[in-house]
Amino acid sequence: MRFPLHVKAALAAGLLFAAAPLVRASFTPPTFDDEEESEEGEESAEEDGPDTRYFAVVGADIHTGTGEVLRGATLLSKNGKIQAIGYDIEIPGRDFQADVPSAERGYTTEVLDATGFRVYPGMVAIESSGLLGTGGDFRDSIDPFDQNMVLGLGAGITSTGQGSSAVKLKRYVSDGTDVDYDFDGVVLRDKWYTTMSYNSANSRRSLREDLERASQYIREYRKWQEDVKSDKELKEPSKKGVNGSVVEVLTGQIMAKFRADSREELLGIARIAQEYGFRPVIDGAREGWTVADELGRAGAYAIVTPRERRDKNELLVRDGGSSIENAAILHAAGVQIAIKPGSRGVSLGGITGRDIMHLPVEVGFAIRGGLPEEAAVASVTTVPARMMGVAHRVGTLAKGRDCDLIVTDGDLLHYQTFVQWAVVDGKVVYDKEAELFFAHIRPRAETEVAPLQRLDAGENEEEEEGDEDDDDEKDKKKDDEDDD
Amino acid sequence: MRLLTDTTSKLLAGACAIALGVAPSFASEAEPSAATAEPPAADRGMAIKARKALTVPLEGEQYIDNAVVLVKDGKIEAIGPAADTAIPLGYEVVDLGDQWIMPGMIDLHSHIAGTFDINDTVYLTNPGLRAHASVIPENSSLRRAVAGGVTSILFIPGSGSNMGGWGVLLKTGHDHYEEMLIRNPGSLKLAQAGNPEGFLFGVGRSFMNWNTRNTFQRGVAYAKRWEAYEKGEGEKPQRDLQFDIVNSLYKGETQISTHTQIYQVVNATLSIVAEEMKLPVYIDHGTFDGWRAAPRAKELGVAAILGPRSIDVPTGPFIRWSGSNPEKIGGVAAGYQEQGMEMIGFNTDAPVIPQEELSLQAAMGVRYGFKWDKLQTVRGLTIIPAVTAGIADRVGSLEVGKDADILFITGDPADPRTSIEGVLIDGEKVYDPIENRRRW
Repeated sequence: MRFPLHVKAALAAGLLFAAAPLVRASFTPPTFDDEEESEEGEESAEEDGPDTRYFAVVGADIHTGTGEVLRGATLLSKNGKIQAIGYDIEIPGRDFQADVPSAERGYTTEVLDATGFRVYPGMVAIESSGLLGTGGDFRDSIDPFDQNMVLGLGAGITSTGQGSSAVKLKRYVSDGTDVDYDFDGVVLRDKWYTTMSYNSANSRRSLREDLERASQYIREYRKWQEDVKSDKELKEPSKKGVNGSVVEVLTGQIMAKFRADSREELLGIARIAQEYGFRPVIDGAREGWTVADELGRAGAYAIVTPRERRDKNELLVRDGGSSIENAAILHAAGVQIAIKPGSRGVSLGGITGRDIMHLPVEVGFAIRGGLPEEAAVASVTTVPARMMGVAHRVGTLAKGRDCDLIVTDGDLLHYQTFVQWAVVDGKVVYDKEAELFFAHIRPRAETEVAPLQRLDAGENEEEEEGDEDDDDEKDKKKDDEDDD
Repeated sequence: MRLLTDTTSKLLAGACAIALGVAPSFASEAEPSAATAEPPAADRGMAIKARKALTVPLEGEQYIDNAVVLVKDGKIEAIGPAADTAIPLGYEVVDLGDQWIMPGMIDLHSHIAGTFDINDTVYLTNPGLRAHASVIPENSSLRRAVAGGVTSILFIPGSGSNMGGWGVLLKTGHDHYEEMLIRNPGSLKLAQAGNPEGFLFGVGRSFMNWNTRNTFQRGVAYAKRWEAYEKGEGEKPQRDLQFDIVNSLYKGETQISTHTQIYQVVNATLSIVAEEMKLPVYIDHGTFDGWRAAPRAKELGVAAILGPRSIDVPTGPFIRWSGSNPEKIGGVAAGYQEQGMEMIGFNTDAPVIPQEELSLQAAMGVRYGFKWDKLQTVRGLTIIPAVTAGIADRVGSLEVGKDADILFITGDPADPRTSIEGVLIDGEKVYDPIENRRRW
C-alpha cells in the first residue's frame, strides 16, 4: 500500500528533529492544496481498472458545507474521492456501459438513491474518545468492528480528533470489494497540535522561555541556511534547550492548544500569541465572550461547549462567568468556533443529550445563544477540519475531497434527525436500518428500505420489471398465508 | 361623592380619564401630565399578543393562532384569538410579534431549590423530614431554572433512604419562600430500590418492600384514627410527626413521588402503593425497562414522570440488572407511549440534568421514538405534571383563572435552538434577556 502524499508530508513534519535533514532545509509549512492537485491529476489520468470503485448518491438535497444547497443533485465519487457534484452527471455503469456486465466494464458502481433525504459532509468532531481504538498509534490500536465506531458513524461523525491525531472512522465493511482493511487510511494526521499552558506563574514563565528560545533558534537557523551557501564548513546552530514542538508551532506546522477559561488567562494567551506570531487554539474559553475582540485580533480558534458553566469571580468588577452567548459573541468577533459536547465518549448509561452521540444537540445550544446557523454547522465540519489541518480532505463536499458524507432524514441540527446512511471514502459504512441500535425508531418507508444498488453484471433498467414480478410473488405468498 | 372622598391613585386616574373624555382641552391645561395619567402599573392589566399560544389544557384544543392573553392580578383573565379578544382600555400591550407563548414548565423531580442536606439517612424510613427547611430563594440554580422556562418545581429529598420525607412544590422566580410556596407537603418521597441499598449494612428489595408496606399500613391506620376523631367517633390520637404525611396522603391532599425504576420495582410500586394501600402515587424516573409496567400503570391511573435517563440501553451490567433485551436502544418515554400510556411527563432530577434543560428531556424522548404530534412534549412539561401533582387548578396550562406563569419562546419549546425571550411568574416579569443578561 502506497503512502498517500499528505501522510508523507505529516510524517516528514514529525521527523523534523529526528533524522530528516532534507526536510529540515525548509520551514515552509506543507502546502496541501498543491499536492492535492497533483494527486488529482494523477488519478484522472488513470484508466479505470478492476479495482476502480464508483459510488454515487442521487436525488438528495446536497448541503456541501460551503454554503451551497443543491436540490435533488448527484454526487459521484471514484475510489473514495469526490469526482463531481451537481446535475447531469453521468454515473458509470448506470448512464453509460449499462449493458456491459461489470466484469467486462472493469469497474464497480454503487448508487444510493437518497431522494427526499439530505446529504451533509460527515461531521468532524474536534475531540472524542473511544470511537476507535485506545490511542497511541491508531494503525496499531484501531478496532474496525468496534461498537462505538458504529455509534459514532450513526451520530454522523466520520472524522475526529482523538489525542493529538486526526483520524477517520473507517469501519470494516465486508462487502467483498475490499478485502484488506486500510489501516493507514485511518490516520488523517498524526499530530495536529501541541499542548501549551498559561494557567500558572510557572507555566507562563516556562512558556515564554520556550517561545523565546525557539524563535531565537529559528532566526539562527535561517541565517545559517543563507550563510552555509558561501561557507560550507559553517556549523549548524545548536538545538540544545530548544523545544521542538514549539518550533513546529512557530513555523506553522502544528497548532498550539491551550486549556483556558478565565478572562485573564485568555487575555494573556491572546497577547503572547500575537507577540510570537501564532494562532492559538483555546479549549474551553468560557469567559471568552468578555474578551472576544482581543481573541479575534489574535486570530484565535476556540473549542467551546455552550452548556459548560463557570461562575463569575465575584471579587472582580468586570463581567465574568460562562454565558450561553459565548460562541455567538466569539464568532461575531472573528474567532473560529469548533463545538464539542460535555462528554467526549459514547455514553449508554441512559442519560442522553450530553455525549458525543448528541453533538448536534450541543451545537443547538450555541444557536440558542445566537450563533448563526451556518457557523453552527461549520463548528462541526469545516472549522475543526481547518484546525486539524485536514480541511483539504474532510469537512466539505467538493471535487477532490474525500467522499465522507452522511445522509439524514432532516435538518442536521434538529433533535429528531437521524443519520440514515454514513459514507466514508465512498463506501456505505452505516445504514440505520441494518443496525440494531435505532432501526426501530421511525423506520424508513418500505420503498426506501433498500435503495442501495450495486450495478453488477446483468443489472440495469430491466430490473424494474423484475421488481414487479417479485411483488406478484409476494402477493401470492400473502394469499397463501391468508388461506392458512 | 366617592370621587371627592376617595384619594386612591386608581380612582384619581379614573377621574382624569373621565375628565379627558368630557373636556380634553381643559384637562390637559389643568394637568400637564394627563397623557400619562393611566392607572398605575400595579393595577393595570397586561395584554400579551403572540403569534401562537400553546395553551395545552388537559382536554380540547391545544393551541391558538394569533392569540391574546389578558393578565390581571397575577392571573390569566382572558385568552383567545386576537379577533375575538378585546383588550380593555389602559392595559399594557406586550406585542411579541412572531414569538409564541406557553405555560411555565413544571419539574416534579428537583433538588436545586436550596442546600443539599436533603438526604438525611440517619434512619432508613424518614416520612417526617421536610425539604422546605432547606430552601434558599433566588439561588443561582433557580435563577437559571427561570431562564430555562421552569417556573414550578417539586423540591424533594434524595433517594438515599427508603422514605426521604416531604417534598415541597415551589415557584422558582420569587424572592421569598412564602411567595414561592405552592403547596407543602408537595409530596412524600419514596425510594423503592436503586439507591437505598447503600443504607448502613445494605438493604435489599424484599426488606424495602416490607418496610414500605409496614410504614404505610401503620400510617393509614393513624390517618383512620384521625378521620374517626374528626367525625367525633373516637379519642383524639396522639400526634406522630412520622405519620402526619400519611394523613395528607389518605385525604388525597398530596401524592407519593416514587423513585422507582426497572420493571420489577415499578410493578412493586403499583402493587403495594397504588393497589394495596390505595394511596395517591406517581412513577418518578420509571426508567430502564420500567415501561413494561405501563399497561398496569394506565389501568390503575398512575402517571409516569420520566427522567433523567431517556434511553434504555441494555449493555454490560444493565443487561444483568434489568434483564433487558440487548438488541436495541429503546426510548423510555416511547416505551410507555407504545403501551398506551397518556400521562407521561418529564423530569431532570436536577442537578443530575441541569434544571434549565428540562425541555431537552422532552426532545430526547422524541429523538428516541416518543410521538409529539398532539403536543405531547409540551404537555409532558406542563399540564401532565400539574395534574399529576394535583396543582392543575393553578398551573400547567394557559386557561382563565390560572396563575399567569407564561413563557415567551421563539418556537418549538423542546428544541435546544429555541430561546426563551421572557418569563412571567404570577404575572410578574421575572426574566427578560434583553434588559438583563441572557442567562440561558
